[in-house]
This record gives sequence, C-alpha cells and structure tokens, in this order.
Amino acid sequence: MNESSILSWITFIPLIGMAAVLAVPRRNLPLIKMITGVATFVPLALATRLYFSMFAKGTAAYQFVERFDWIEMIGVQYYLGVDGLSLPLVWLTTLLLFIAVPASETVPKASKAYYALLLLLEVGITGVFVSLDYFLFYVFWEVMLLPMYFLIGIWGGPRREYAAIKFFLFTLAGSVLMLVAIVALRLQTGTFSIPELAAAGAAGLSGPALLGMSFTTWVFWFLFVGFAIKVPVFPFHTWLPDAHVEAPTPISVILAGILLKLGGYGMIRACFPIVPFAFNTFAYSLGVLGVISIVYGAYVALGQSDFKKMVAYSSVSHMGFVLLGMAALTEWGMNGAALQMFNHGTSSAACFLVVGVIYDRAHHRDLNAFGGVAQSMPRYWALTTVAFFASLGLPSMAGFVSEAMTLVGSFQSDDRRFRLLVLISCLGIVLTAAYILWALQRVFLGPLNEKYRDYSDINAREIFCQAPLLILCVLLGVAPFLLLDWMDASVVSLVDFLRQAS
Amino acid sequence: MQSVHAEGLAGIAPELCLVVTSLAILVVDLVLKGGERASRLMGYVTWAGLALTGFLLLLAQGNPAKTVYGLVTVDRFGNFFKLFTVASVAVVAYFLHSDRTERRTGLGEYYFLLVGAAIGIFFMVGTNNLLLLMLGLELLSLASYSLAGYHKHEKRSAEASMKYVVFGGLSAGIMLYGISLLYGLTGTIDISVMAGAASEGIPRSLAGAIHNSPAAVAVAVVLVLAGFAYKVSIAPFHFWAPDVYEGAPTPVTTFLAVASKAAGFGALLRFLGVLFAAPGTHEVVAGYGQQVGHLIAILAAVTMTLGNLAALRQESVKRMLAYSSIAHAGYVMVGVVTMNATGFEAALYYLAAYYFMNLGAFGFLLYFHGATGKETYDSLKGMGYKAPVISIAMVVFLISLTGIPPTIGFYGKYKLAIACFEHYPWLVLCMLLNSVVSLFYYIKVARYLFLFDPAEETPAPQPVFVGVMLAMALLTVALGIGVAPLVNWAASSLDILAVAR
Repeated sequence: MNESSILSWITFIPLIGMAAVLAVPRRNLPLIKMITGVATFVPLALATRLYFSMFAKGTAAYQFVERFDWIEMIGVQYYLGVDGLSLPLVWLTTLLLFIAVPASETVPKASKAYYALLLLLEVGITGVFVSLDYFLFYVFWEVMLLPMYFLIGIWGGPRREYAAIKFFLFTLAGSVLMLVAIVALRLQTGTFSIPELAAAGAAGLSGPALLGMSFTTWVFWFLFVGFAIKVPVFPFHTWLPDAHVEAPTPISVILAGILLKLGGYGMIRACFPIVPFAFNTFAYSLGVLGVISIVYGAYVALGQSDFKKMVAYSSVSHMGFVLLGMAALTEWGMNGAALQMFNHGTSSAACFLVVGVIYDRAHHRDLNAFGGVAQSMPRYWALTTVAFFASLGLPSMAGFVSEAMTLVGSFQSDDRRFRLLVLISCLGIVLTAAYILWALQRVFLGPLNEKYRDYSDINAREIFCQAPLLILCVLLGVAPFLLLDWMDASVVSLVDFLRQAS
Repeated sequence: MQSVHAEGLAGIAPELCLVVTSLAILVVDLVLKGGERASRLMGYVTWAGLALTGFLLLLAQGNPAKTVYGLVTVDRFGNFFKLFTVASVAVVAYFLHSDRTERRTGLGEYYFLLVGAAIGIFFMVGTNNLLLLMLGLELLSLASYSLAGYHKHEKRSAEASMKYVVFGGLSAGIMLYGISLLYGLTGTIDISVMAGAASEGIPRSLAGAIHNSPAAVAVAVVLVLAGFAYKVSIAPFHFWAPDVYEGAPTPVTTFLAVASKAAGFGALLRFLGVLFAAPGTHEVVAGYGQQVGHLIAILAAVTMTLGNLAALRQESVKRMLAYSSIAHAGYVMVGVVTMNATGFEAALYYLAAYYFMNLGAFGFLLYFHGATGKETYDSLKGMGYKAPVISIAMVVFLISLTGIPPTIGFYGKYKLAIACFEHYPWLVLCMLLNSVVSLFYYIKVARYLFLFDPAEETPAPQPVFVGVMLAMALLTVALGIGVAPLVNWAASSLDILAVAR
C-alpha cells in the first residue's frame, strides 16, 4: 500500500467490502458481518496510523494530496487531501462505522443489503471529508443519501417511510441549492478546486448581481442553507427528530455522530472561505441562528417524553455551539467549534447507544414509564451517567472544554454584540443540565418499576460499542490537546484567512 | 447523372436499408403466415436490419456533411439522432419480443410499423427542407397512431390511438400553416437557404422578412414551434401524452417516450440551430433567436413544473413515467433556450442520458406489468425482494432520472445547468428545484419495491432480460463517472452550427 494513496484506500476499502458482501449468499450472515467488520476496521486502522504517525502537525497545508484529472473537459479533478480540520472527522467516521457493525446485532432483520448499504454510506461520508474538489465533494455528498434513505426506510421504526423521505427531500433540497452555487462559482472562476476557490474568494470574487443582492451574497446563502440543513440549524432542523426517532440505533449513531458534522465541516471548508466577505457581513446573523438553535433545541428537549427524541433535540442544541463558535471568528471560537464537532460526535453517539440499550429491553422509549432502572442495571447506569455528563458539559468531560472554548471565543469577538449572544446561550446550558438530569432521574432513580426488575445488565457487546466513545469523552476532557494540537495550525490559518477579508 | 445517383444512394443507404428491412418483415409475415415462429423470426430480421443500418451510419460518421438530391442532408447531427433511433428501436423490439402480455403470434405489423416509424424519423432529422421534415414527421406520426392502437380490442389502447390522431392531426395542420407562412415570407422552404443572405437569387431572406414584417415571422415561428412542441410534449401541447402513453402497449410507450421524442428534439434543434444559432447568422436574426429563447425558457419552466406536479399525484407507475417524460422534455429545453453550441451539446447529452435511464425504467415497467398484470404502485409492494437485480437496476434508473450523482442523469443536469446559467439563472434553479420535487415520486417506486413485505407470488424475470437491465444500470453509472465518450459524441455531432456561409 502506497503511503501517498492512503486517503483513497481509507475511502474505498468499504466499497471493496461492499462488493464482497454482495458476492456472499444472503444466508451466510455471519460471513457478511465478518466482511463488514473487516471492511470497517481496516479504514479505522489506517486512519489511526495516519493520525498518529503520518500526519505532520503544525502546518495548515493539505497533506497526503492525491490529484489527477477525472473529467478533463470541464476541469474536474480527483483531488483528495486532509488537514487538521478534516483528519479528526475522518478518524471519527471510521471509528463510528466500525462501532456500528456490532451495534447492528440488535437491528431486526439486518440482512446482506443492510451491511452493503452501511459500507456504501461510509464511502460517501469519508469521501466528503477528504475531497478538495467541489464536484467530487458534491458527488460524495449525494452518494450518502440513498443508503441513508434505505437504512432508515427499511430498518427503521413505525413511521420510517415518512422519516426517510423527509430526510431525503430536505437534504436534496439543500444540496440542489449548493449545486446552483457550485455552477455559479465554476462559471465565475473556472475551477472546482476548493483551495483555488478560496484563493479567488479572498481576492474578491465578483459576478452579476441579481434582484438587488450581490453575487457573493447569493452564493453565500445558497451554500450556507445547503449545509445548515445538514447541521441542522434552526429553522431547518425539522427533519432531524423524525429521522433520529425512526432510524435504528446504529444509524442514529452515525447520523448524530458524523452526518451532522458534515454540515459544520462543509461550512468551514467549502462555504466561508470561498465567500469570506459575505461571511463577515452575515457573521452576526449566523451567531444569532446558532444561539437560537442552542436555546430552542435545549428547550424543546426538555419537553420530550420520548428518550430518543430528547437526545435528537439535544443535537440541535449542541450543534448550535458549533455555529456560534465559527461565527465569532476568533481562534478560540473556531477551535472550540471544531472540537465541539468531534466531541458531540462521541457524546451524542454514546447517548444514542444508551437509548438503544434500554429500548432493546423495554421496547419503548417513554421516559415517564421508566424508573429505578439503576437497581436492576447498575453497570448500565454508570455508563449512561458518563455519556450524559459528557453531553451536559460537566467540567473534566470533553463537552465542557469545547463549549467553554466556544463561549470564551465568542466573548472575545471583535463584534461586541456577540457578548449578548454568549449570555443568552448560557441559558441553553442551564436548560441542558435540566433535561439531562431530569431524564437520568426519571429513568434510573426513584422506586424500581416492577416491570424492569428482571432486565439483564448491559452486556459485553454493548460495552464494547460504548467503551471507545466514553473513553474519548473523558480523555478529551482532561487532555484536549490530543485534538487541538492537530487542529490548531489549520484553525489559525483559517481564522487569519477569514479575518483578512473583513 | 450516374455519379449523382451513386452519391445520392450512398448518402441515403441507411434509409434504404430500413426500407428493405420493413419489406423483409412483410415477406416473412406473408410466407410464414404469422405463426409464433414467424414472430420470432421477424424480431431477428428487425435486429439484423437495424444492426446493418447502424453499421452504415457508423461508416458514414466521418464523412463531411452533404446534401443529396437537394433534399436529404447527411451530417453528423442527423447521424446522432439516427443512431439514437436505431439503438432505441432495437431495445423496443427486444421489449416487444419479451413482453409477457403480448400475444405471441401475428406480430408482423408491429415490427413493420416500428421500422416504418424509424424511417420517418430518419427523414425528419436528416433534412433542412421543411417539406421533407413534415413528410418524415407525418410518416412517424401515422406509424405511431397505429402502434398506439395496436391492442385494438382494448378500450384504453383504442382511445389512446384516437386521441393521438386528433391531437396529431391538429398540430400537424398548425405546423404546416406555419411552414407555409415562412415560405410565403422568404420564398424558400429550405432553412439553410432561408438563413442565408438575400443576394443568392432568393427573393427574401429571414433577416429581410424579420425586418419587413416581424409580426408575421413571429406568427410563423410560433406555429412551427407549436408543431414541435406537440411532438416532444412541451406545455401547452402535452395533453395527449399521458393518455396515449398510458393506453399504448408498453413497448410502444417506450418508443414514443424515447425515440419519437428525441426525433422531435432533433428536428427542433436543427430548425433553431440552422436558422438562429449558426455562426455568421445575421445580427437581426440572432437577436430574434434570443427572443425565441425567452419564449422557450418560459415554456420549459412551465412544462417541467406541470409534469412534475402531475406526476406526484399518479397512482399508476406508467402514467407517472408519462408525466415524468413531460418533465424531462422541459429539462432538455433548458439546453435549447441558450441558442448556442454549449446548450445544444448539453441537450444532446441529456437526450443520450435520457435514453439509458428511460429505457431502463420502461423495461422495468414492462417486466412488472407482465408479472403482475397491474401498473399501480400498490402492486409493486415487496417486488424488490422477489426480483432483486431488476429492482436495484430500477433504483439506479430512478436516481439517475432524479439527477443524483454518480449517474448519467446527474451529469446531464449539470451540463444543462452550466450551459444555461449565464442566460437564465432562474431557469436553472427552477430545474434543480423540480428535480427535488421529482425525487418524491421517483423514490416512491423504490419505497414500494423495498419498504414493504412481498405480497403475492410473481414469476421470476427471464435471465436475458435481467442481463439487459443490469447492463443498462451499469452503463447509467459508468457513463456518469466516465463521461467523456458521450460528451465527445454530443460535441462532435453539432456540425449544423459549423456550416460555413
């Protein structure tokens, strides 16, 4: 295996795995699971090696670049590369997909098609994180949709069809807006390369104005909405609770853990740097949207009686911090946002696994119907507490570091109005503490509901899925430099780049 | 004189080959008295004739453009559509061959009419002479009317045929009237002459006519466009399409939706290209062409929106595909409105993409209609688990029709978008938003295929049929990733715009 093509291998090994899965007769399910396990483990191993021993810290340049012509006549290139912003997310992708395989044991009727689609999904997600050509980026972006549609639509809960089509339509609507912007950018600049587009953006992109709005404003909003739907930012979030509630546990894990990050990542990689002037103009509006998401998401989560829906709305709230941190345009804020994406990836994935464990036993998710589960499932209680406190942002846990950095960064912003936003978002933190503690109390504490007396405690497979995520939640709480050192150079260069355009 | 004939006959060799094929079909039918063996043999004769025609067309591919007998233009542009027709009729003949609902004997007229329609298309797309174009169009139409009513005892089919005749006759009349006006205004029925300067012994050129009586030219052009709009089912001349598509036997519907529609676009593109878009066109005429472009842009937006909104509400998959093909006519128009080579190239590419994904979708319809006897979404339930390969292939066609990468349909939409964006950004947005709407009804098919448990027993598809569908699906993806061959073919087929004046 050539080191210079390692990104291609990480991206396409799952595709090879998918071909292998399709070649196996459908009755031989153990073999299919094994192939899927291998096809998700190898990218994880490669990504780990990439992260710890191959990647050069302290530089903002793209590394492991692969670049050659794909569609020569229109200048589309197969252009891959990672920097400090994308590498942690690539690693997280490979980790969560690997965890998804054992977590799929409890999905009823998980078949050959299920594992094949899971692998195809991994190709799409990883592809987006490593693409540096906008056309390629878009292709991978869309490749994700179909597997996701079927994974929710076939193996989901009672309202799966509605949730699946809603997810598909929302995302496609967003990506169509993105495509319009890509076409417009291509016509103005003659390139699809994201770094070159960013250079063109910094030099002052111009184009025909339309309906009284400048070219860059149009491009900015089209791209922003396309990504905001994925994040999801209020008011584009309505697909999320449906998709989460209906999706089977491992798919929820992937959805919350990585798919939402694609939106945030898309903004800092392929939206803000390309139209930096427009971004500076609208930064405060984005901050406001972020704060609305934080407070609104937490407030609605407080009102949920469905365990999974509560976690889903908490995602809206937590991802709001990402937007707020990015909009503040300070090094702390941007670092916090990037860190928050990763940390939310681990903590929300852990939370969905937690919900999955109790759902597999009780077959319902009504928070008010539980009670005293801590007595019958003590180990489960312990693990849940860790996951929930990480999500809550308890000091010494990962979520605390990133949220604190985001808030401090926002407070430092040149735009004084951000201070008010920070104050308001603190309200979101209080609400978060409220719904998480209340949920813990309703499920685990109080008198033991007799129905739950005989429940078996969390088993080895479930612990195996949970453990890496919980370890990360704690580890990154006490040693955030394990991520920050990798990201910092890219973040600083991004912030400098964006500030120059103000 | 002899050399003129030698050249002329060589020029129309593909057409002649088709004529011979059609006669051979009749002879086989007559000799073997239309038994089951005859039906099979006629299928083989059709394929052999089409293969030979295709071979002749490929041989002629490199030749410089020329006009034979002063009527038939042999050029790469025409060849594009002729090859397209040969390829689609071959698949339609295969569909007919494997149609479970079709009776197995006495298929003579069926094959004969198909080849006859192809001959009509050949003349229609291969001439600058409006009269020959009209004749080709009528030959195509007459064959199509009969084909649509092929199941004459079936009420639906007979009604479809009748509707088709009435609409077709009316629009042919309108178009002919437009042509007569153009003839009156310019003194010629050859569009290449019409587009030229007035000094070549022609009393008036189009530029002169526009200068003298712009209103009359407007009426004439609009009337001619109406005729084309009918053929390619552009609003407001699309009303016949859903009923005819639904009533006609599925292979015929396939022919109408793919070959006949492409032929209409071929003639339309030649008409607009030669008149308005060729380099060296008179300023006034080119400006006029832009005006025509505005009109077509509005029609395109209306067509795709109407088609998609109507397709949303259908219960029958066949009718949904009919409305979807109306919407796709609107998409192709997005390339036409630009009135330049980039846009026309995108339109040609999109038609080629349309070939794969629509033939595939109709092929699926054919199988499932044959297997269940029904065409509603409901009867699709759980089919994906009983005929997995065909169903997965169908999903590929559907995402390609929606325009999701990495498929040929996405690249087609991308090319249209990039070609049209500078002229009509709103139309590009309209097209892409429409594709979001279309997702809703396309994915509904996938939903019924895979998201429900299988209901009743259905016969398994024939292995060859599975192979054909799989090949189509693989091409739909492969040509969406390696786009060069089709793009090059489309780009090199635009010699109508490169004619020196």
